[in-house]
Amino acid sequence: MPATPFAARLLDALGPDVVRTEPEDLAVYAFDAYSEDRLPSAALVPRDARDVGIAVRIARDCDEPVVARGAGTGLCGGAVPTRGGLVVSFARMNRLLELDVRNRRARVQPGMVNLDLSTAIAGHGVFYAPDPSSQKTSQIGGNVGTNAGGPHCLSYGTTTNHVLGLEYVDTDGALHRTSIDDAGYDLTGVLVGSEGTLGIVTEVEVRLLKLPEAVRVCVAAFGDVEAASAAVSAIIGAGIVPTALEIMDALITRAVEAHYHAGYPESAGAVLLVEIAGAQDDVAAGEAVLASIARAHGALSWRAARDEHERALLWAARKGAAGAMGRIAPNYYIQDACVPRTRLPEVMHAIEAIARDHRLPVGNVFHAGDGNLHPLLIFDRRDARQVQAVVDAGTEILRTCIAMGGTISGEHGIGYEKKETLSLVFTADDLAAMAKVRAVLDPARAFNPDKIFPTGALCGEVGARGGVRTAASA
Amino acid sequence: MIAIDTYALGALQPARVVEPADAQEVAAALRAAADAGEAIVVHGGGTLQRAANAPARYDVALDVRRLDAVHAYDPHDLTLGAGAGMTVAALDDVLARNRQFVPLDAPRAARATVGGTLAAGWAGPRRAAYGRPRDLLIGATVALADGSLASSGGMVVKNVTGYDMGKLYVGSHGTLGTLVRANFKVLPAPPARRLAVAPFDDDLRERTVAHASGLALEPVALLALDGFREAPGGERPRLVALLEGSDALVERATRELRSALGAAGVAETWLLDGDDATRAFQDLLDAYVALDGERSLTFIARGRPADAASRAQRVRGAVRGAETIADLRTGDVVVRVRARDEAPVELAVRDVLGHATLLAAGTAVQADAWGEPPATLATMRALKAAFDPHGTLAPGRFVGGI
Repeated sequence: MPATPFAARLLDALGPDVVRTEPEDLAVYAFDAYSEDRLPSAALVPRDARDVGIAVRIARDCDEPVVARGAGTGLCGGAVPTRGGLVVSFARMNRLLELDVRNRRARVQPGMVNLDLSTAIAGHGVFYAPDPSSQKTSQIGGNVGTNAGGPHCLSYGTTTNHVLGLEYVDTDGALHRTSIDDAGYDLTGVLVGSEGTLGIVTEVEVRLLKLPEAVRVCVAAFGDVEAASAAVSAIIGAGIVPTALEIMDALITRAVEAHYHAGYPESAGAVLLVEIAGAQDDVAAGEAVLASIARAHGALSWRAARDEHERALLWAARKGAAGAMGRIAPNYYIQDACVPRTRLPEVMHAIEAIARDHRLPVGNVFHAGDGNLHPLLIFDRRDARQVQAVVDAGTEILRTCIAMGGTISGEHGIGYEKKETLSLVFTADDLAAMAKVRAVLDPARAFNPDKIFPTGALCGEVGARGGVRTAASA
Repeated sequence: MIAIDTYALGALQPARVVEPADAQEVAAALRAAADAGEAIVVHGGGTLQRAANAPARYDVALDVRRLDAVHAYDPHDLTLGAGAGMTVAALDDVLARNRQFVPLDAPRAARATVGGTLAAGWAGPRRAAYGRPRDLLIGATVALADGSLASSGGMVVKNVTGYDMGKLYVGSHGTLGTLVRANFKVLPAPPARRLAVAPFDDDLRERTVAHASGLALEPVALLALDGFREAPGGERPRLVALLEGSDALVERATRELRSALGAAGVAETWLLDGDDATRAFQDLLDAYVALDGERSLTFIARGRPADAASRAQRVRGAVRGAETIADLRTGDVVVRVRARDEAPVELAVRDVLGHATLLAAGTAVQADAWGEPPATLATMRALKAAFDPHGTLAPGRFVGGI
């Protein structure tokens, strides 16, 4: 028997195949990659947008919140149903609806796994550029919610640059279609990255790119992260934008190598992964220039992957870095922040000092070319001192990035974790303008409440219910 | 002081012109207008003013061209913050000194302002290669009708910190707020640029378009033009291709283009390099808003690249004397007509192209800039009411009378 009248009404309207209400079924919808969790009253696994609309109308009538989620790989609690209510999982809406190779676009359902889209369109000479490291599990809908990035957004841009249109369900359960080619306000643009607070996306039209003629992946070894960061700053400063520029420090490199044996130099203090793509001649010429800049900034070695297999392995290892750390660290906490790219060496130095002050080991694996940092703090969650130290160090890192002209999220969003920090980046007036958009699209704040906005930033807001245990992630 | 009649829109002339010196003065002007119940319309270079309807009410012209400063530019960060009143040409110059660029592709770049280009939702032919202006905008500050200044985004190239408000202001024609500053992601400029023009005979049209569309080394812009004598290549049916990249790439792409066009039966392809190519490409962009006399009007319609040439052909069949640009990479179709009577022309163009919006029109021409509003109009109206409750900002200029 469902525990609440709300759950009972959903079940009644949509049946047990679409609506889950048993606690053991709901447990998987209680959390994402952040530490906080809360059981929803019900979970919806819709077959189509119509199911979503029906459920949203019932939620509205029962005054219950609705949280749309993807695979739950977000680091900031964006998918945690902090007030219970309904969670919508798109696991079943995971199909490629249309592929238009000539016009380089595709229509997909939000539950389609990012990598599955790439696999589905392989062989047609086109690709979908945003490739978050979580792409084996994370879904297009979740990627849209957080405007996800990935290593290749350095030259191709983030998810928002690849979404041509959306279908979404509003807070009354009505279905709408948007296109960036429509006259009028760019609703597509503001829905992307709104973390499920403005509408529930039920279909995504994506832009595809033509596969480059040639791709080369190279690995350079450096003495330390600062040297590698200085090389990245110099590459960008020289006006070269490769398709990816990724750094891993020694701690991460060793963890990755232990698992993947991809051929990264384990003795290096830091490793720079460079991908160049484009026309044949340009790729060869580009590699020569990049290698010489790297050497001028202290690169100890430079090596190009020999073939497609080795390239794929280097990428698999890089994208599996967080997972590899999970095998050797008791618990870790990944931060996501950005700085202007000239500040990279400086910010890496500062992060090291912050971690040292808090007596926490730190690993760094990050999208260096974009200035998007992912310091990974290692701790043991059974030790209260360490847990507090992680929270404090995380906040200090964000403050440091803000002070350098950066920001507090590059690709995971604000979610629950960083909502109070948002007021360090934006003024009350800045936030008030954003709150107007929320008030128009979700006046009752039923869609993903307690996210993005600092307490009090939405007019008439009461304090968040429910306690937060820690801001640390296992 | 510029003569007040240069700010006239449709039959309306403002009572006064305000020329603020900075963002605070812009915000104060909006607040004052809102308090007085006046309607205010922002002006930049005026190059795309006809891409929106004349306002329903019009008291104050707000000329933001004094906001022309570069606020933040470290070339090594590949980012730049510009005042909304800066001209696109001035922005290009600043960046060119460091071999960088922001591909806004603005028509009449020497007059067009950064803010106006964004507010008008302009997106030019190179967007298939480099992204739209909205994609290059990483941060925005607007003045709102309540007199506040609101920023979003920042100076970093990856950012999911709060709503992406810049997207809302781009293409809003100043109806939600007034852009005062825009931050861009800038790109390294391609070392080589070449513009190729290839006139073709009408019976070779389909082959020419098909061969050019299938190039392995794609031009960053590829268009089929009929008419538009302001653009390179006279008035004949012709293909214009812009090649950008390394010297080696441009050479290879030229060979590929020539051989593909040769195989299609095109007799000659002539080339312009470097600054000549840049000037010719600007001429092409200028043609989008160039008038062919006081009775001319120009529409643009978005669409699929594969359909652009055939859609353009259908418009030429349906509207006598129509000149067209078919953008084979973005799918845009641009139509210019000299009309004795504009109403049937407007109908015919929209009948063939669906959602076509106005780009340019002679002062005597009466035409609706927007046509049928999108199905999400109710949401758009609600956004307008939330941002501008008293109808201060360019009332009536936008879609559906917003």
